[in-house]
Amino acid sequence: MTELIKTSPLSDAQKMMKPLMGSHRGMEVALSFEGPKAEQKHKTILGVTDVSCFARFGIKGAKAGEWLAQQGIKTPEALNTWVEGAPGTLVLRLGMSEFLVEDQLIGKACAKLQAFDQANIQSAYQVVRADAAFVLGGSEVLNLLAELCVLDLRDSVLPSNFVVMTQIAGISATLIRESLSGEQVYRIWCDGSYGLYLWEILIEIAQELGGGVVGLTCRFQ
Amino acid sequence: MKLLKCPINGTRPLSEFIFGGEWRDMPNPDTSSDLEWASYVHYRDNAPGIKKEWWYHSPSGTWFIAERNTLTDEVLATYLYSNPPATNVEEQSA
Repeated sequence: MTELIKTSPLSDAQKMMKPLMGSHRGMEVALSFEGPKAEQKHKTILGVTDVSCFARFGIKGAKAGEWLAQQGIKTPEALNTWVEGAPGTLVLRLGMSEFLVEDQLIGKACAKLQAFDQANIQSAYQVVRADAAFVLGGSEVLNLLAELCVLDLRDSVLPSNFVVMTQIAGISATLIRESLSGEQVYRIWCDGSYGLYLWEILIEIAQELGGGVVGLTCRFQ
Repeated sequence: MKLLKCPINGTRPLSEFIFGGEWRDMPNPDTSSDLEWASYVHYRDNAPGIKKEWWYHSPSGTWFIAERNTLTDEVLATYLYSNPPATNVEEQSA
């Protein structure tokens, strides 16, 4: 029997770049595009990584936070902020009563949350997530974001635990700033149907600024 | 650039928002007369002045009320429908 495997929303564009493929959490992912030396250089200047393969769980409703707490997931108290809700798992509070839970490379919380049983839970509703997700990092990252977003996203203006829901390259997106292995990076989520568009824009600008694509292996090594 | 303040997300360019029409008190459909109901459904007061309007911040999916002077295009207040200010601007200026 053939095992079904998910593909990234950016899969078609990535395959044309002939990357070294692998899989993560049941999704086919591009591990490396141009080899470690070139990608390390991109990472330093401006690297764009597709992390759509990370497991996600969305929930909203008046008792969504309460239900997550019952599952042992810490949730942010302030609107539009994020916390590490469990080891290796980000929890973003989107507005008042909606949460996005995302396992990072080592997180394992989402698998447990998939046991959500709508029939037995009141005032909390699962939100199906089909995001395209990105990590952007490097010395030129703010110059890239300045071309795509009207908000000032510098460290001095954007507190590290803030969640920003705005338009990036003209589409609705969610953005946070976080520290990844000591490096300040920006995370962006958008609807998967816009993923290919955003990927192409990000790569085009990154290349203009001396950076480029970074595979999952180089980003998280 | 025109700006509008979302009560949840803060001040953003107007391009992030979608106008949702004028907010008006809905008469009770069970007790209102046909005339009252038809008036609510079909008639609009287009005279310029301070109006309550629905606006939608599309990146976050937030619906809220903006009180706007449609003559001067000045936005006087924005707030969530569930959390109106103690005294709204329309009442203050009356």
